[in-house]
Amino acid sequence: MLTRSKLGIVTLGLGVALLAACAPSTDASGGGEGEGTTIEVWSWRTEDVDEYEKIFDAYEAEHEGVTVEFKPYVATEYDTILSTGLSAEGGPDVAQLRAYGGLQPLCEAGRLVELEGEDVDTSAIPDEVLGGARCESDGGLYGVPFASQALVVYYNKAIFEENGLQEPETWDELMASSQTLQDAGVTPYAVTGKDNWVLPMLHDLFTAPRYGGPEFEQAVQSGEKDFTDPDYVASIETMEEITPYFPEDVVGVDYATAQTLFTSERAAMYPGGSFELAFFQQQNPDLDLGVFAVPPPPGAVVEESMTPGWVDASFGVNSTSPDQEESLELVRWMATQDFGQMVSDELKQLNPVEGVTPNDPVLQEISQLRTDSPTPYLLLQDFRYGEPTGTDLMAAGLQSMLLGDADADAISADLQKGIAQWFEPGA
Amino acid sequence: MTARRGRGATTRRPAPPFPVLAAFLVPALVLYSVFVVYPLFSALQYSLFEWTGTVRRSFVGADNFVALFTTFPLDEQLLSAFGHNVVFFLGTMLIQNTLGLTFAVLLYKRHITRRVFQTLFTLPYLVSPLVVGYLWVLMLRPQFGVLNAMFDAVGLESMSQPWLGDPGTALPVVILINAWQWLGFPMLLFGAALASIPEEYEAAARVDGASTWQAFSRITLPLLTPAIGTVTVLTFIGSFNLFALAYAVGGSKGDPAGAIDVLGLVFYRTAFEGGVNAIGVSSALAVLMFVFIFGVALVANRFLRRREAELS
Repeated sequence: MLTRSKLGIVTLGLGVALLAACAPSTDASGGGEGEGTTIEVWSWRTEDVDEYEKIFDAYEAEHEGVTVEFKPYVATEYDTILSTGLSAEGGPDVAQLRAYGGLQPLCEAGRLVELEGEDVDTSAIPDEVLGGARCESDGGLYGVPFASQALVVYYNKAIFEENGLQEPETWDELMASSQTLQDAGVTPYAVTGKDNWVLPMLHDLFTAPRYGGPEFEQAVQSGEKDFTDPDYVASIETMEEITPYFPEDVVGVDYATAQTLFTSERAAMYPGGSFELAFFQQQNPDLDLGVFAVPPPPGAVVEESMTPGWVDASFGVNSTSPDQEESLELVRWMATQDFGQMVSDELKQLNPVEGVTPNDPVLQEISQLRTDSPTPYLLLQDFRYGEPTGTDLMAAGLQSMLLGDADADAISADLQKGIAQWFEPGA
Repeated sequence: MTARRGRGATTRRPAPPFPVLAAFLVPALVLYSVFVVYPLFSALQYSLFEWTGTVRRSFVGADNFVALFTTFPLDEQLLSAFGHNVVFFLGTMLIQNTLGLTFAVLLYKRHITRRVFQTLFTLPYLVSPLVVGYLWVLMLRPQFGVLNAMFDAVGLESMSQPWLGDPGTALPVVILINAWQWLGFPMLLFGAALASIPEEYEAAARVDGASTWQAFSRITLPLLTPAIGTVTVLTFIGSFNLFALAYAVGGSKGDPAGAIDVLGLVFYRTAFEGGVNAIGVSSALAVLMFVFIFGVALVANRFLRRREAELS
């Protein structure tokens, strides 16, 4: 209604006016105050405030006169807030950055400092991980990656034991276990079909060996193959073997419900990411968790299980920061094992720096699976550099599949059609 | 000025001097210009350029507009979203406004209960559509939701469905949720319009032997035309600007499977999840949406004014 839109405009107006009124004071606290320097670090992890305080306390203790202020914003609004912050005064000195495609609007606009020319030592971080913080246009490094994610199947050890099940070694065992659980009235997999961003993750988690993981990635990048390749189509078809074990009316199940089904022990397995571990442990501390990598499905190109993963976040420096040298010093420290170990212990995130070992046993196991047999979360890592993104296309396609409106051929054809609009193989 | 002052001296107060007028009008004009007029024109300007992040690059003419209609799957999404806006508008007219009129007619002569019911029915629109959306999502959850639990409890298991998970039921359910929230609005407008119709008209018709229905359909309803027109135009604008409720229920993609995707969500996606040239493409969409909504509202308003003139 008009009254609604009018009210919206007025509220927006007031909001902007308020923000404008607040801006100068925010700016003042960001600058140097005589003797000390305050470095403002922006992030989308509102849940990690206490942990970051602890981590930065350690840094402050070693760097006299430097105060690091951690300032998180809501994750879903963060990209907008950051791009505005970086293009105006009062922005952050150091900012948490999205990886791969999500980084491009910022680095292409020249908002960040190129780090390799600034003496940031990234030798302890693997090259493919650094790839997540590089700018496509100039190949420069604009962030220090500090959090990676890996995809595994979490399972409830107690439920497995009650039903006489063990970690599956083969695809057939996985299917048999799923059937046993379903017959016993337990939902085998807690999955959301409503919040469809989860679905492309499940595709790689369950079927990456079917299409061949990294080998296929290279073939697609060089133009030798595309997404209509029979093995890739078959990998989508393989999903249809698992979907009967998803919750009933899965397209009506949202993300929070799927997580609750697992933490309330109504579902036996949760195919998900390392980023969910802390939440599960927090929601139900009594939950006895195990993890495994999905065994290769029949006809798999690579006959071993694989653990998909990707770089999630890095820290970079604002190119207009008044305290650029101090900010760079902080980012240099973020590439060290010291910082990496704290990220792993305090934030329960997988840190890519060599020599960092998680102290949480489950996280350690995930880290081991990832190191043993890594494969990229292909559509996120390589196909988010243009619009429409590979992950969005796959998400929509798999959701239609769950509803019975699309088959593997149609999904892969749409994926190829969408991506071909901006992706040039061999470039 | 002087002539008017002389003529109106007996019936109205003289117009205040210009500085006083300005003092009262300028603040509103400034706010309006800064927050409405300026963004409108800057969106038009933005839509003609290519962007990398927040940095403006070269002038590209209509390229961003062309991209809206040629990029797969944006072209298909745009079309289906537009269709959903149309369905939403028609559904809202049919359910929300018809019920609003019915309740207004039922209540307008009941002086004591009217206030109570008006307040009750208008209460939901004091709540943010986002909150309303999330609450209904909670109630309609297939696993833990109240509604399906109620159906199960009374033996109507066949009625318990994933209401918001089935593309067939999602949009109708959203229309109902929206109607639940906004029912009070047409009710108040129609109530005010009914109150302004002199009671003698209906009384005279009844004396002449008209039945209740005849009196309503021949006397009251035609006299409500201006109010119906206003409600229609406002519903149209509201339906095509729909965002918060659709976002709360279906997220930025209008899930399930884009069944409740509307233009507002397509705009949100192109603007905030749209990659490097997001500002260019989303501004183009914003301009088109504005031109369409403004244009239709303008034409509809003209048409309705003419109808009113014919009636009076």
